[in-house]
Amino acid sequence: MCDVCGCQLTGTSNKRLVEVNQSLLEANDRQGDANRTHIERMGAVAINLISSPGAGKTTLLEHTIDALGSELRIGVVEGDIETERDADRIRAKGVAAVQLTTGGACHLDAPLVHKGLHALEDQANSKQETAEGKKYDLIFIENVGNLVCPATFYLGEHKRVILVSVPEGSDKPAKYPTTFRGADLFVITKTDLLDYFDFSLDEADKEAGRIQPELEIMHLSATTGDGFSAWIDWLKKLVA
Amino acid sequence: MHELSLAQGLIDQLLALADKHQAEKITKVTVIVGPFSGIVTDSFSFGFDALKQEQNPTKESVLVLETPPPEYTCLQCGNCFTSPAGQVQKPRPFSSTLPCPDCGGAHCTAKGGDELILKQLEME
Repeated sequence: MCDVCGCQLTGTSNKRLVEVNQSLLEANDRQGDANRTHIERMGAVAINLISSPGAGKTTLLEHTIDALGSELRIGVVEGDIETERDADRIRAKGVAAVQLTTGGACHLDAPLVHKGLHALEDQANSKQETAEGKKYDLIFIENVGNLVCPATFYLGEHKRVILVSVPEGSDKPAKYPTTFRGADLFVITKTDLLDYFDFSLDEADKEAGRIQPELEIMHLSATTGDGFSAWIDWLKKLVA
Repeated sequence: MHELSLAQGLIDQLLALADKHQAEKITKVTVIVGPFSGIVTDSFSFGFDALKQEQNPTKESVLVLETPPPEYTCLQCGNCFTSPAGQVQKPRPFSSTLPCPDCGGAHCTAKGGDELILKQLEME
């Protein structure tokens, strides 16, 4: 309508409604699906490891490589804000590792992991490639240490594993429900410290189960090996 | 603080849609934010308002966020119910402490609600 007198004669009003109904995460999720196809083409199952900083993700991976490295071809994509430290720890175990540095972002997203997967594929040596071109059995994607933001971003993983360590406290499932809701497995780590902290395994298990009734739960200490075999069995079953 | 990267994603989506529909500007943007999407609506709006200034089609865009109430499933009888808006318990939205209206069961778990959807645009 005309700005001067309000008449309809100018015919310039072009106002219209458009129904979109598209997820804001659509671009990420689409890339996540493509990542999953890529992972499966490499012959692997992928796990997205999520926890707060210092819960023991890298330590769990080091011990996992010690236990399974001779029978499974493992690859690791490491997410951190800065440094190659985690990838260096994994490489020291003789396993292919790619370090993604987000430069500040608090989570990994599917496009970044896409780059990581290509780099990981390039690192696979010819000895580990089967006649069908399969290069890995198991790929771990270690997310940026953060119990909040990584939950929103699907990376193409087959399973999502949440770690909480004993020093952090048993109230974590109740305080970070979004993260637990999308998880397949909840691992309580550093159980060798239970005597020194006021951590109730019962409370953590119950709260997590209430948020996600189908969640599997494990308690372990990577350093003493207590409960560790359940984790290894779970991984073997996943890859089989 | 991943709200800012989601707001940037929304802006990119809007620019593509403005282009597709040959619109000069987008005046209103309606987004559905599920109760369990993990999004802090204030931070999301703040990020959007900061980022929209950087390009002409979104400069005047008004962001409207719709926040549907959470739905729960009773673990005892399987009944589904929606928590009335006024009765959403903020601190523990995932496991309702409201008893199941059907059987009175105390253990009700949240279902769905993690959606984050660009619903509708008003453009000129």
